[in-house]
Amino acid sequence: MSNKNGERRLSDLAVNILGLSVTLLVAFIVVIVLIFLLSKQPLNTIYYFFIGPFTNRYYFGNMLNSSIPLMFTGLGIAVAFKSSVFNLGGEGQVYASALVATAVAIALPNLGGLFGITVATLAAALTGAFLAGLSGYFKMKWNTDELISSYLISAAVILIVNYFITGPLNDPTNSLLATKAVEKQYFLARIFIPSKLNTSLFFALITVVLVYFLMYHTHWGYEMRICGLNREFARYGGINTAKYLVLPMLLSGFLHGLAGSMSIFGTYHRCIKTFSFGMGWNGIAVALIAKNNPIAVIPSALFFAYMQAGANAAMIHSDITYEIVSIVQAVIFFLITAEAIYNYFRYKPSKKYAERGGEK
Amino acid sequence: MNTSHFSIPMLHNSISIMTPFLLAAIGGLFTELSGMLNIALEGLMLIGAFFSVIFAAFTGSIFIGILCGILATLLTALVFGYVSLYLKANIFIAGLATNLLAPGLTTVLAFKIFGNKGVIRFNNIPNIPVLHLPSLERVPILGDIFIGHNILVYISWLLVIIAVIVIYKTPFGLRLRGTGLNSRTIRALGLSPRYYQLSAILISGFTAGIGGAFLTLNMGAFVPNITAGRGWIALVAIYLGNKKPLGIVIASFIFGFTESFSNYAQGIAKGIPADFILALPYIVTVVVMILFSIWTHYRARSQ
Amino acid sequence: MRGDTTEMKSIQNPLLLMEGITKLYPENSVLANDNVHFEVLEGEIHALVGENGAGKTTLMKILYGLQRPDRGKIYYKGKEVHIKNPTDAHRLGIGMVHQHFRLIGKYTVTENVILGREPRRYGMLIDRKKARKSVIETARKYQLEIDPDAPVFKLSIGQMQIVEILKILYRESDFLILDEPTSVLTEQEIKRLFETLRTLKQLGKTIVIITHKLHEVKAISERVTVMRQGKTVAVKDTATTDERELSRLMVGRDVILKFERESIPKGETVYKLENVTLTERGKKVPLLDNINIEVHRHEIVGVAGVSGNGLTELEDIIGGLRRVTSGKIYHDGRDITNLSSIQLREQGLAYVPSDRLYRGSSLESSVIENMIVSNHHNFLRGEILERKKILNYVLAQREKYSIRCDPNIPIGMLSGGNIQKVILARELSTQTDFILFAEPTWGLDVASSEFIYEKILSLRREGVGIILISSNLDEILSLSDTLLVMYRGRIVFYEENKDLNKEVIGEYMLGLRDQFNSLNHTTPRTEVV
Repeated sequence: MSNKNGERRLSDLAVNILGLSVTLLVAFIVVIVLIFLLSKQPLNTIYYFFIGPFTNRYYFGNMLNSSIPLMFTGLGIAVAFKSSVFNLGGEGQVYASALVATAVAIALPNLGGLFGITVATLAAALTGAFLAGLSGYFKMKWNTDELISSYLISAAVILIVNYFITGPLNDPTNSLLATKAVEKQYFLARIFIPSKLNTSLFFALITVVLVYFLMYHTHWGYEMRICGLNREFARYGGINTAKYLVLPMLLSGFLHGLAGSMSIFGTYHRCIKTFSFGMGWNGIAVALIAKNNPIAVIPSALFFAYMQAGANAAMIHSDITYEIVSIVQAVIFFLITAEAIYNYFRYKPSKKYAERGGEK
Repeated sequence: MNTSHFSIPMLHNSISIMTPFLLAAIGGLFTELSGMLNIALEGLMLIGAFFSVIFAAFTGSIFIGILCGILATLLTALVFGYVSLYLKANIFIAGLATNLLAPGLTTVLAFKIFGNKGVIRFNNIPNIPVLHLPSLERVPILGDIFIGHNILVYISWLLVIIAVIVIYKTPFGLRLRGTGLNSRTIRALGLSPRYYQLSAILISGFTAGIGGAFLTLNMGAFVPNITAGRGWIALVAIYLGNKKPLGIVIASFIFGFTESFSNYAQGIAKGIPADFILALPYIVTVVVMILFSIWTHYRARSQ
Repeated sequence: MRGDTTEMKSIQNPLLLMEGITKLYPENSVLANDNVHFEVLEGEIHALVGENGAGKTTLMKILYGLQRPDRGKIYYKGKEVHIKNPTDAHRLGIGMVHQHFRLIGKYTVTENVILGREPRRYGMLIDRKKARKSVIETARKYQLEIDPDAPVFKLSIGQMQIVEILKILYRESDFLILDEPTSVLTEQEIKRLFETLRTLKQLGKTIVIITHKLHEVKAISERVTVMRQGKTVAVKDTATTDERELSRLMVGRDVILKFERESIPKGETVYKLENVTLTERGKKVPLLDNINIEVHRHEIVGVAGVSGNGLTELEDIIGGLRRVTSGKIYHDGRDITNLSSIQLREQGLAYVPSDRLYRGSSLESSVIENMIVSNHHNFLRGEILERKKILNYVLAQREKYSIRCDPNIPIGMLSGGNIQKVILARELSTQTDFILFAEPTWGLDVASSEFIYEKILSLRREGVGIILISSNLDEILSLSDTLLVMYRGRIVFYEENKDLNKEVIGEYMLGLRDQFNSLNHTTPRTEVV
């Protein structure tokens, strides 16, 4: 791409990819260093960390499976970020929606199949939408900071969901702290036995396409994005900016709700205490790596799931602890928005041009 | 229910419980005044909590424990500040990164050193010295509430006073507030806004580290996620306190009181599930936040 | 240097010599300074002139340490110096008053002056008594009037400028750089500023004044350097040149900023503000006080005033971004008070904002996305945007307004003139009978300004009613059929634009005259120190 003066300059896409590569490279180095520091069998650990997920159908399928909720939550955060609203309540939204999905399915045991799952999923997604929407509403009405309010509401909701799982909805016959299981009609079909990968993968991919279409081909998406980039301009241009403080939060919560219900019907079949922890925060990581682009959420979620699966395999077959992933995630977070890195790639070519002595 | 039976102890405990909120918030105030959103208080506190208790256990000295906790937190704050200010990362994401790093790092280290990812008890840590002033303790009501706390509580008060002096009476404070109000002006004077912002981040690390140490040294143990959202609540305290030291003290007291109340209520209100009572501080915080923004909103509207 | 530039006489022992200065801004690949040569003699008042974007501010920012040159050398008092930041500049005795004030509104005058060089007590605390004393003494020494305890946000623009000057004098600067100091002042304040500059010169200071107002060059400077497109094109003794020659050097060709405004009879009233008042809690004086404006078809109503006197608030109200406290607004007799901006647009009212870069556009969005923000509903099939239709529309607009760009690139990469054309294209895309222009040519090059003026005049010809808010008095006096002046939120002058005197208008702008109030002599809000 060339600019006003006719020089060649790296396109935005190239800059982004280079910057992302630097981030991932550093993350990679950090993983290696941590493994050498913490593991008594570093080479073994490295093998399982990087190759482990591919060594058999079970690991590979489960890796793909764990990317599914990340696609939903990643989309949820991407949509919010694009609109410049901050949904920090993803954890609570996923968890509460999962509970609602389970509860609805248990309450209507004779339903099931596509219809039943749809009904329960809708209830779940609306729960997530409601929780996030609350923060959006308070922001719109009274300019209450939605970042903090969504986090606090989520923290409270998690505790309340815990109560229900260990109390009224608890299944005493199960060794885990969990609710009763849903009926078999509510199970989504497995597609890669013996792993837990199931048909929710297709729903995830379809959702990605739908969200992309919404954001870039409909007027809602256009208005959301303009509000996200410059709210003052949007207001001047006649867009209802108040609406777009609430709508993106509703949509974000809705997507987080889908993560919750798809996890239940696809993988867990019952609401287990703390089963979804991490899906919300990791959604933020996924959206960041994807630079808030819906389509890019797919490889981003897969990458993240890969990292988690590797850590898991290393934990089982070797001697490190799973929390290494958090450290790596932190490193990625630190670097992924580091503009200085991107600027380096953006401006170095132009600087060289100036040093050579200007035009002609 | 004889209210006077536990209202005094409840207030006494509130003073103690509010200390970590107050410490994190007063340091966080510096970052807010310099114009930055600092959500890393939670992670910084956890780092302080962890390192202070394990070094106290290794050396048998509370003092060295606190010192090491502060050092570790300062290092973490330095990383957070460097990445945000010099690598120009999004400060909100960098703050999240710090909040992810803290539990990850502490769990990994705990597992490596102690082989245990859960609660780690230490038997050889002395208690934090408690300040006894018999003459003042005899003052009715006020004496019971304010005297007889451990020294970290009084240190926190001292830090608040120092903070007020620094912010309003020193050149550093004038320039720090100037950075938050108009950083272009600061730059045009030949001063570096980044210097003041980084200093503010380090100060917030310092106080958050002490706040974290307070949590673990009190118990002589490290509990995963011991900070339990206090860093976030400290941030709310800064806003509710209208970014002024006195307001922060009052807001911190309110949150300390809520938590103290929920502790007592758990014992008394047997009908209410424990989880709901644990959720109470969060709910109260959100409600207070909303009420505050309603009040601010209508105050600005009535023109 | 090439072409029609004047021969540069070599100077003996200049106080300041900047040689071979080159600076490229990588973000937009602009070569702001291209091998610039600049000399200043001790004790002189030297004007640095050029169009917007000629590179004058960049050159002085380099001198003041806010920017680093890619190449070039600076010699001060005969020795080579390396100025890496404003502190280095201060140490040499170089100070700069910026075009956009670098002041902290909430702080007092004293706090702003001492900031960064605070007198101390016990080494660690600010000595406020000493600070106040220093400010008063410095002001007295240079015959400046200011209240040391006033919070800066309460001061007038002229007084704020005095604070900026005090800042430099407090630091004992001998070399003063003033960047476009008169762009926000009235005629009287400009007179006062020039008196101050002459006093400073008498007391031994050297002054560089950056300006694009050529009559000021003649009024105050002894020598003038002309820059154009990043290069030095001429250095002249002020006495031996005139505005026409300077203008030619600045632009490269003869520019006549006069155009024909044909006489057209006014039509019916198309837009009316009736007793509009705007108050704000905590402010004693209303921001807008009983404003009555009537705009007819085929009429341009010019609104002049110094910023801070209600022009911005008026713009916000007319643009539909702020609600009135009382009063009414009418369009063709219909009550449109407090309608939102999108409702106003639907009615056929358009608005070109003064804040082109932030309110008027979304810099990171593409030209296409910027152009359709108000009318994207016209390109919908159901809820879906029809990309092809939109692209064709934008390309057509691009032709019509001769905007040079690729429609998909972020609008922030375009020049100011092209951005303004996109905004115009957007605002005029539907039938309008009223349009508000606020500071339409601020910061634009001559060619773009001419385009805008032609557009405004052709709209007037078509029967549109226009309100033009502008701080450029020449522009307003040339374009307006009717002129009004605002001061402290009130209209103090409202008459047909016939044989009006610029000086007299300036007095209205400063509140020294008032058509509608028996002269309410307001004591100036400063203490004579």
